[in-house]
This record gives sequence, structure tokens and C-alpha cells, in this order.
Amino acid sequence: MILWTPMQLELVLEGMENMTTPDYCRISHQGVPMLVEKTDGGRKRIARLLSTNPADYLNADYTPGKFLED
Amino acid sequence: MDKYSSYDDEPGVFPYSPDIDPEPSIEPDHSPDDPHSPDEDHPRSPRRVQGRQKLGVDSIKELGTMQVPEVKSNIHSISIVGQIEGHLVLPPQNKTTKYEHIIPQLVAIEQSTEIEGLLLILNTVGGDVEAGLAIAEMITSLSKPTVSIVLGGGHSIGVPVAVATSYSFIAETASMTIHPIRLNGLVIGVPQTYEYLDKMQDRVVNFVTSHSKITSGQFRELMFRTGELARDIGIVLIGKEAVEKGLIDEVGGVSKAVAKLKQMIADRANNKGVTLQ
Repeated sequence: MILWTPMQLELVLEGMENMTTPDYCRISHQGVPMLVEKTDGGRKRIARLLSTNPADYLNADYTPGKFLED
Repeated sequence: MDKYSSYDDEPGVFPYSPDIDPEPSIEPDHSPDDPHSPDEDHPRSPRRVQGRQKLGVDSIKELGTMQVPEVKSNIHSISIVGQIEGHLVLPPQNKTTKYEHIIPQLVAIEQSTEIEGLLLILNTVGGDVEAGLAIAEMITSLSKPTVSIVLGGGHSIGVPVAVATSYSFIAETASMTIHPIRLNGLVIGVPQTYEYLDKMQDRVVNFVTSHSKITSGQFRELMFRTGELARDIGIVLIGKEAVEKGLIDEVGGVSKAVAKLKQMIADRANNKGVTLQ
């Protein structure tokens, strides 16, 4: 990975060593496959869409970082 | 003396019983001993009730009208903010733009029949070279009109992304930093390392020069200029300077950018022979 940025790399990469891998889980929500991250409260936060339908990526409900409402 | 004149015997307590007996059939809905106000748990139902909207066929049958469809914009805007994240997730203090979401969005924009243009808004401090170039290549290969606008900053890898669109704007106070690419992490001091770095630099320089009016020599000169930045070799271009160097097409804000995009959409429709409504 080559970062090309005028920002100090120490600031950008601070805490990189202590980062833990989130509890990722592959699910399908209303037919859209996605990778979700389980948070402490048992809620699911979208990490990444795995759908092959490009229109899903324009759906505001499936923005990464959004919590899924069951 | 009027019996209601003083409440002072015991503060907060009304000292007399009311003259009228309470109606036995009426249950009080709130006990005074209960600290909750009844309104907290059960908000009073509003006096005005919203009517249900009549849909499609109903409204035509009963009222002779059609529901006005929701106005949808024919342009979409994507903002590139913070760091452009590459193949590693950056620590959470960074605001990042994720290429894995932007790229399929661009595919959807290209494929959609409703979307006619793309407005790209940049306020980025650079980031991963590969991811930035991937986004830039995607944008440049769109067949639909694209306009970019650099607002706060479009530094480093933000430069190729900004020039990737068919037309680019920069705000008067926005800045673009151009500086050499540096290797981060463990660097092995062998000639191959520097060759590799040179190739990375060439990728960026080639992209920028083929998508803007700046020449390769001029861009490299800006990149390696000494004395402009204290920490790093390079240069900061502000607003008008970026236009003078040929990197960006015009100085302007969002209204100019949207007007330009609309004009390009209209031109494209005319060239195709599609009648405008």
C-alpha cells in the first residue's frame, strides 16, 4: 500500500497496531448479500455490500456504516 | 377573608376541599401521588388527523387528478472526502472514502437510464495510489458527462481524481498539493525500490497529463519543486493557480459546476438527436 498524502503518516496510521478485526459475518438482507459487522449491542452494521447488482450500491439504506433494522 | 386567599400553611398543598363532590363514575386518569405526568407516557392525540394520500387509480377515479411524481434529479453527486482508503482499512480517526463502494456506484450511474450526469465533489487529503487511480480511471471511462469540483482541498492522489472528469472546477480558496510519492513502511534501500517508486510516479503523471492541459515536464517540475513546502518537496496550488497551470479547467463554485453539467447533458442529448422536453 502506498499512501500519497500531505498529511503526516504518523497521524494517519496512529492506532493501526491496536486495531482489532471486527466480527464480520456474511448475510443476505432482503436478497442483498452483504458483509456485516456485529456490534456489542447485537446490532448489525453494514461493512460492505457483496451484491452483484450495481443498483444496490445506490440504495441509501445499504450505505456502509448503516445499521440494519430487523 | 376569602378562604382561597392563602396557600401558605403548607406550601404546595391546597388546604381546602372543593365544594362540589367528585362524580363517582369518572375515574381520575392520573393519581396525584404518581410523579409521572400522564402526558409523558401517553401524548395527547393530535386534534388534526392527517388524511391518507390517495394513490394512483383512486385519485384518478375520485378526484380526477394524478399524483405528482416525486422530483428525481437526473444528476448524481459523489463526494470524495478524507483519505481515499486502499487495500488496508485505516484506523477509525480517519475519514475515508471506500473504493469498493464508489466503483459499483459508478457502474450503476453508467448503466442507469435516469441518471444523465455525475457531479464529483472533492475534499480529500489524498490516500492510496491504487485506489485513487482506480476511481479516476472509472470516472474517466464513463460515457455520461462528468464535472468535478475541488472545494477545500484535492491533494496528492486527489489530483488525478479531479482531472478525471470531462470538466473540472476549483473553488477560489481550494488548494491542491502536489508532492513526490514516498514509500511508507519498511523500505529496502536497493535500486529496485526506487525504480518501483518511479513507476508509481509515472502512473500518476501519465494519468494527470493525459487528462488535463498540463505537460509531463511541468507536472514533474511542480512535484519536485524545492522550497515551497517545509516538510516535503512539492507545491501547493490555490484556486486560480491550478487553472493557470492547466490542471483544472475553471475557477468556480457549485452553481457553475451544475450549470456546466446541465449544459453538457443538453449537448449530449442534442448530438444524439433526442428531442428535449
